[in-house]
Amino acid sequence: MSRDSPQEPAVRLEGITKRFGDVVANDDIDFTLERGTVHTLLGENGSGKTTLMSVLYGLYDQDKGTIHVDGESREFDAPRDAIDAGVGMIHQHFQLVEPMTVLQNIILGHEPTSNGLVDESSAREDIEAICSRYGFDIDQHLDTPVRNIDLGARQRVEIVKTLYRGAEILIFDEPTAVLTPQEIDQLLEMMTELTETGCSLVFITHKLDEALSVADQITVLRDGEGVDTVAVPETTEQELARMMVGREVKFDRAARETTPGAPVFGVDGVRVDGDRGRERVSGVDFTVRAGEILGIAGVQGNGQSELIEGITGLRPLTAGTVRFDGNDITGMSRRRRIESGIAYIPEDRQTEGLVQDYSLVHNALLGNQTISPYTTHGFVDWGAVRDHAEEIIEEYDVQPPNPDTDAMSLSGGNQQKFIVGREIEHDPDVMIASHPTRGVDIGSIEFIHNRLIELRNEGLAVVVVSSKLEEIQQLADRIAVMYEGAFIDVVDPDTITEEELGLLMAGRGRDEDSDVNPRPPDADESDRATTTGDETGAPLRDEDDRPGTDSHNGGVQT
Amino acid sequence: MLKMSFIERLAVSTVATVLALLVGLVVVAVTGYDPVVFSRNLLEGSVGSEAAIARTLMFTTLFILTGVSVAIAFRAGVFNIGVQGQFVIGGFATVLAVLKTAPLLPEGTIGGVVLLIVGTLAAIVAGGVYAAVPGILKAYGGANEIVTTIMLNFIAIGAVGWLVEGPFRGEGQSAPNTERLPEYVGLPQLIYDSPSFSIIGLGIALAVAALIAVLLRRTSFGYDMVTSGHQESAAGYAGVDAKRMIVATMTVSGMVAGIAGAVFTIMIQGYYSDPAGIGTYGYDAIAVSLLAANNPLGAIPAGLLFGGLDSAGSYIGISSDVPAQLIDGIIGLVVLFISAPELFRMAAKRTGLGGDEQ
Amino acid sequence: MTVLDRAARNRVRLGAGAVIVLLGVILITWLDLPLSDLFTVGFLSRSLQAAAPIALTAIGGLYAEKSGVFNIGVEGFMIFGAVNTAALTWLIGGETAGQGALWMAILASLVVVSVYAVLFAVLVIRYKADQIVAGLAVWFIGLGFGPFMAVLLWGSRNSPGLVSVDNLTVPGLSELPVVGPLLFDASPLVLLTVLVTVGAWVVLYHTRYGYWIQAAGENPEALDTAGVSVARVRYAAVVFSGVMAGLGGAVLLAHAGSFTGTGDTMVNGRGWIGIVAYLFGNYNPIGAAAAALLFGGLDMLQIQFQTVGIDLPNRLVNLFPYLAVIVVLTIWGSTRVPSSVGEPYESEE
Repeated sequence: MSRDSPQEPAVRLEGITKRFGDVVANDDIDFTLERGTVHTLLGENGSGKTTLMSVLYGLYDQDKGTIHVDGESREFDAPRDAIDAGVGMIHQHFQLVEPMTVLQNIILGHEPTSNGLVDESSAREDIEAICSRYGFDIDQHLDTPVRNIDLGARQRVEIVKTLYRGAEILIFDEPTAVLTPQEIDQLLEMMTELTETGCSLVFITHKLDEALSVADQITVLRDGEGVDTVAVPETTEQELARMMVGREVKFDRAARETTPGAPVFGVDGVRVDGDRGRERVSGVDFTVRAGEILGIAGVQGNGQSELIEGITGLRPLTAGTVRFDGNDITGMSRRRRIESGIAYIPEDRQTEGLVQDYSLVHNALLGNQTISPYTTHGFVDWGAVRDHAEEIIEEYDVQPPNPDTDAMSLSGGNQQKFIVGREIEHDPDVMIASHPTRGVDIGSIEFIHNRLIELRNEGLAVVVVSSKLEEIQQLADRIAVMYEGAFIDVVDPDTITEEELGLLMAGRGRDEDSDVNPRPPDADESDRATTTGDETGAPLRDEDDRPGTDSHNGGVQT
Repeated sequence: MLKMSFIERLAVSTVATVLALLVGLVVVAVTGYDPVVFSRNLLEGSVGSEAAIARTLMFTTLFILTGVSVAIAFRAGVFNIGVQGQFVIGGFATVLAVLKTAPLLPEGTIGGVVLLIVGTLAAIVAGGVYAAVPGILKAYGGANEIVTTIMLNFIAIGAVGWLVEGPFRGEGQSAPNTERLPEYVGLPQLIYDSPSFSIIGLGIALAVAALIAVLLRRTSFGYDMVTSGHQESAAGYAGVDAKRMIVATMTVSGMVAGIAGAVFTIMIQGYYSDPAGIGTYGYDAIAVSLLAANNPLGAIPAGLLFGGLDSAGSYIGISSDVPAQLIDGIIGLVVLFISAPELFRMAAKRTGLGGDEQ
Repeated sequence: MTVLDRAARNRVRLGAGAVIVLLGVILITWLDLPLSDLFTVGFLSRSLQAAAPIALTAIGGLYAEKSGVFNIGVEGFMIFGAVNTAALTWLIGGETAGQGALWMAILASLVVVSVYAVLFAVLVIRYKADQIVAGLAVWFIGLGFGPFMAVLLWGSRNSPGLVSVDNLTVPGLSELPVVGPLLFDASPLVLLTVLVTVGAWVVLYHTRYGYWIQAAGENPEALDTAGVSVARVRYAAVVFSGVMAGLGGAVLLAHAGSFTGTGDTMVNGRGWIGIVAYLFGNYNPIGAAAAALLFGGLDMLQIQFQTVGIDLPNRLVNLFPYLAVIVVLTIWGSTRVPSSVGEPYESEE
């Protein structure tokens, strides 16, 4: 790599424009990455961060604009070209082949061969050299299949893979989404070390504190446009937040009086197995009262999904009981639970909450198939169902307001509002909401939060699962923190600090330096991948909140 | 699955059929026959005479029923390739039930009607049970239903073949056939004077298609079924037990295949012979269903088209030198072209004929 | 999947396998079968012959599926392989075709089938055809045009007796006990199958192409971002699967010596059995070949039964492999399928 002109930035993007159909994902964006620095790309979901970097990495062709790497103008038709130019990307969804070993994953596409066969021993030497140079520990596990290592280690495999390919310009796409606070600290430290050895980093995130803690420069994107680029010492969290969302954001929790009533819903000693038969929930108890919101916090993959699927009747319990209105409903089928007034906003609206190629009318019947007036004696009254759909659209401000639109053409926020509306209109006694605002635009988040609080004020028992701390803190009357299949603590949102919550989510008693451990608690992560559409627990495919783009293999999400 | 409008589906089906026929004509020409004569034979053989029309409608009846059977399963996302086997088992069950029950009942019209009902019920039960087996194996054992149903086709043909050769061969039969059904068991000839077609049979097929259409569109059971086919996880969320739904789907699909078998036995054959030689209605039904976009009502025109093709095939086999197997190949081509709507979409775009949506 | 999970599943499988063996033993002792007469070297050698077409098809099919494309059309490609070889043998050598004509016909028919396979690959990869429907279509086309060609050439769905392949006797090696007659005084096509099996294993697990095939089926995006074209890898694997199934059909014909086009043709489900063989063999070429041998053996049981005087009707004994397939699928049905099978992959907009 030519180093003779130290003034040349590592990367210079000029006037990058990228469209997907009618949607402009990047509108005339300029971006400069100086050598040996960390440059953060900050923006809400759907603001075009990942798209911009995918253009740099050769995954997309830009419609307009130029790319300069090390001062030379470049055209990247495919990732291979970018790799050859020393650009590497650590994707948000790890690009790892789970059944293959760590070593095989690192050398994939760049395998050294001798006599036509892959020469694993020479690869091993090279990888060990990289690991000792940058201080990675994964060379201890080169022959372990990737599916058996934890998420933090997978991320290090991704980084080593990129370095193995000779990259000196590294793009980190939302790397902290799946990590515990301690792992995040470790990662940020590692990023600083990488710049010290001469690497230049792009760090994509939507989290202000992370952006400020590690970056030298920050570029803020909003709705596909570059808002501004600022040097870190000269900016504040408030300023960045305003640039991101275009208005001042309040972080405070709305004050409200709490008047919990009688216990409505609860579980005792619940245990649930994951898809591969390993226990994911190991003895959980809780009770929710009328007029109360119980928040369940925790890092993705600690058994929250299995717990919720267990209590909503989608997954059998291996032990324990579920109580509802004083009755034991442990053995009740999912259908009976729906009929008896347990509403559920599912974790994954794309695969569970809506049938993508059904119209909203047909989707309005989902879950209501046995409920009058929509169905009598097994026959569906489509007129009544249509009225119902129109009601939801009207009440919950679903755009476009056309009941014959297919669900898939709605944005994520509108899909979610439709589901929330449908579940609330069940007139339930219990509302279980799993990640109710994941990948949803800010306006819809506020709307959904208000609806959930209204339900609580009307006297429903509400359970909210979320990995977003601010969401849990804003909504919950009590917060249960889930870690490795159990509630590690139940705390009061008014008195707990975000830092304490973070420690709880990390399991508190856990070793500080969490190195590559074969990962028993997360072992099932891999097979949930196919059902939840995502292996890392990172946000869903439609994160963009834009229609018509998710056929691009998730690559456009930012 | 790609989302298509009704018009697009119709266009794909039409273009696929026309294209397959064109390829067929090219093959005819290349192998040294006269494509013009062949085309005329196609027309003559399907609608050229009253006998041809009756024969076309006879095949149509079977294709509608078997096509609807396939459509039910495909709509629910279950690949029942075993309609042929369920059809054979159902038809054979009809023969058995009628022959065993006949001595207990008076001869004549009343006895005949009762035997018709008994025979059809037996076929429905047998077809349903035979289809439920791969459904259960898929739901509770994870066995891929495509492979198991195909294996069960081979097994049905082999087993029934052995039964008609040995244990159930009719007395004094030189060929491996069962005894004939009593003469008074049959559908009356009303319009066409054909020994193997009755308009009542066609009426039954139309009624079944309509009934299944209502089941899929207007009942919550149908909604559950179709939703399972579109998006299993959403169906589960909405309270559908996926495993039970697989078994239920297969059973209903097999029951309709059983009806097809009963109609074949009663209306066409009157006895049972070695099923290796009775025709591959259950396989062609897959093409019928796909052509109809797995819509039970769509199976009516699609069944008519295939009825015409098969009818022409048997005519061509007799009245010309062109091997009748060509028709089977053309049916295969129809399926091939339908599998890739993207092909047409790109072609349409390139030639500027519509295709601006998506 | 963790070690524990795998152990648990293996226990289930071993248990199920043990039950099957036990049932076999009970059946044999109950019927008082003369074992030594049943399992002879001749039986093994016939089983190898019967297994070769299934094994070749299975190996091709597993490559395609490993790469992310479920080639359900292998049964059809087998029919093409068989009928083309028969037709070409006839066209090259006429009624008195010899070994030379047969070998030329096998090679030429592979070329023809590879053209079909390329068309099929373009349809499912470039035009994103529904893999199941397109695969079924290939079978139907084979069932139609196979016999069509036979009637065209010979005026009947069956060919007259053509020529079957001569045994290859390797001097010296053929004297070895058991292995000698099995491999070195046997059909050269059996030997070829053994070589293909070992070669396929080496390529899959020890070359970069093998790595790419595995990655293409598990996480195509990972391969794409590593700079390898997923489409190219899949094209190669699908065409290979078509050609292997074609070879399987050709081998079937070369062992039989004539083409049968009645019923479901002489292939008669062997392609489907091939698919089950690689599932049973857990996508490992050697496992698939071993499973194929099991099915081949079941196919040849009928002759053994006749020689030892067990009077079971042929038609029923012929159903054994199909029944075995169902049992195997039910017990081993939940084999871990590569994650991205059946999904078209688009690398760019």
